[in-house]
Amino acid sequence: MKKNAQNAGIDEVNFNDSAFKVRLKRNLEILSNVLANPTTVLGLIVVIFMLAMAIFAPVITEPNTPDPYQMPRDWKAARSAPLTPGHILGTTNRGGDVFYGVVWGARTSLKLSILVVTLTVVLGVVIGSVAGIVGGKVDEILMRIVDVFLSIPELIFALAIAAILGPSFTNIILALVIVFWVKYARIMRAQVIRIKQREYVDAAKIMGASKLQIYLKDILPNSFSPVMVQATLDMGNIVLVGATLSFIGLSEAGIAEWGVLVSEGQAGISAGRWWASTFPGLMVFLWALAFNLVGDGLRDVLDPRTETKR
Amino acid sequence: MSNSKNTILSLRNVKKHFPIKEGVFQNVVGQVHAVDGVSFDIGAGETVGLVGESGCGKTTIGRCVSGLEPLTNGDIFFDLTPEKLLALEDFEKHQSEIKNKHLIDEIQSTSNISKIEGDDFYNYRRNCQMVFQDSFSSLSPRQLVSDIVSRPLKIHKVCADNELIPRTIELLEQVGLGKQHLYRFPHQFSGGQRQRISIARALALDPKLIVLDEPTSALDVSVQAQILNLLHDLQKQRGLSYLFITHNLSVIRHMADKIVVMYLGKVVEAGKTEDIFSNPQHPYTKALLAASPDLSEDVMSDMAALDGPIPDPARPPQGCSFRTRCPVSRTECGWEVDDIIRRLEHHETLIDSIKSVHQPDAFNAKLTFETSLSAIELKDVIGTNDIPKQMRKAIKKIEVDGNDVNISFDPVQTVPLVQSDNGSLSRCVLANK
Repeated sequence: MKKNAQNAGIDEVNFNDSAFKVRLKRNLEILSNVLANPTTVLGLIVVIFMLAMAIFAPVITEPNTPDPYQMPRDWKAARSAPLTPGHILGTTNRGGDVFYGVVWGARTSLKLSILVVTLTVVLGVVIGSVAGIVGGKVDEILMRIVDVFLSIPELIFALAIAAILGPSFTNIILALVIVFWVKYARIMRAQVIRIKQREYVDAAKIMGASKLQIYLKDILPNSFSPVMVQATLDMGNIVLVGATLSFIGLSEAGIAEWGVLVSEGQAGISAGRWWASTFPGLMVFLWALAFNLVGDGLRDVLDPRTETKR
Repeated sequence: MSNSKNTILSLRNVKKHFPIKEGVFQNVVGQVHAVDGVSFDIGAGETVGLVGESGCGKTTIGRCVSGLEPLTNGDIFFDLTPEKLLALEDFEKHQSEIKNKHLIDEIQSTSNISKIEGDDFYNYRRNCQMVFQDSFSSLSPRQLVSDIVSRPLKIHKVCADNELIPRTIELLEQVGLGKQHLYRFPHQFSGGQRQRISIARALALDPKLIVLDEPTSALDVSVQAQILNLLHDLQKQRGLSYLFITHNLSVIRHMADKIVVMYLGKVVEAGKTEDIFSNPQHPYTKALLAASPDLSEDVMSDMAALDGPIPDPARPPQGCSFRTRCPVSRTECGWEVDDIIRRLEHHETLIDSIKSVHQPDAFNAKLTFETSLSAIELKDVIGTNDIPKQMRKAIKKIEVDGNDVNISFDPVQTVPLVQSDNGSLSRCVLANK
């Protein structure tokens, strides 16, 4: 019987396996599955390009002093066309260097999306977990609050909050956090409710594991992948919504941010000065597209329905 | 029951009702009687088989025993010496004259699993483990076999950290796996192997009792036999007790020393395996045996397969709960007004024309129809063969009064479990005589 069990359906025996190696191998497998999809690879390349631009912004362009997030103003060269010496992508009608704005805008966008995603994921996961685990009236109340938030279109809601708080970059972050946490709460609650009915949770209870142990070891790791997919998608969406708010003028004027730059350049479009709006607009588009492609690829690989096929 | 051995588990009138909640404020609108007064004992080294249809409450009992569900009522006692069991039985018979109060108090505080707390309950966790039906869902997909099997050892700090892996390998070897399986994920195994991992995890704490909740139902037949043999061998080596929950009668015949047959949350028959298979007393047991294809020659062939739905456990029938589907029902089975309503399924127009039902208790009712014609029709329908003959006989009074129909039955108490000729217990009016 013993021999039988060893031979059935198992790949070659490897006595040198260790827990660390096996986990590493599995993560590499997941990675190779992600990379098997060409559109995901394309998205990933663009994402890496954007991240590199954000990280190496001070190397690529000379940082403006005293605040590098402020656009440098070269009034003498205002309204230059692209390929002007010193202003490779041209300047705005207020002398802002479009190339500087594009590069440092990546840094601003990265800061914005990482801050908002981190805060919303933490908030959503905590509230969703409480609703899912405690259940009953607490769940009902929390989910009705979530319903109220979800019933308002996210762009309009973010706009309203940012308008009430007053124009500043911090307020945009705040407004986006208030709007975006609800999705995570919903996803997390559904996942927790699904996972907590699994028999391995019962088995852990029977072993005598504490509630915290069960949450951290059984429920959280098994319910996190949809949250991760949503977070990747939101890395793109948040920049899109953030740029919209900046474009309307709810951000600080003059900072190196794509939405602000598009807004600054729009006055010149009718006069044929297309570059000041087009390049930052293209960046917003590429950023959102790239993260959406990567998110979709992740979803295909991490989807719980395809989990057993691995 | 053996007098020298301890009783590992003793269920005393265990009840588990689940509330039915509705609306935003989660108001309780009813109770599902999942388990309704179940008593039986499991001796040391013994296997007790719990059988019954889906929804009869057998899995709920398993979950109550393993401490996953708190009881609504009743007690579960763990590891009683013969003296303690005697004292407990004595106490239940003569509630008023308590002879050895301190012994009863001691039993209540040290052995009653719904009353013990802290370290004692932690201790019970070590002694009662469970193996689940679905081996896919009972092993966490993100943990390695080494983590899964060594986890109970870590939680209960059974051994030092550097002994964890040797101990885990030992456990895997006991269930027919080996150290080459240590660092693998559950999805890399076949169903039978995953069930072996579950068994290894259950054995890790060296428990006295393992609840087996349909451990082989999801496996194909050849693997079933391997797992059953493994369980059998482990029982011999370690003196384990099993509570074996299944609907598969050939499995239970192979495994169990005693059998408890459940229907709608109640025990309908309990006794030694060979007695129940050779001479079943309750019509439900007979029907179950008849429905099992490979055993059909052992029992009367005139028992047809059961038809009709299982009654709603939120409103279980009074009297004998099996009478609604019983092929040999009698007048004294405890018929009630609900039975008439259940039987009217084929007469939709009649059901639709009922305006109101005034029902002071289960045995008396006033049905009000929209027209007096419908009222008369009801009386006619009751006269036809749509209604079992025995039930028609049980009707004490049926009067048509304009649009109303008054119906009353003789009230009947719940049928008790009684000892039959062969020593097994059965809950049937036929055995009662």
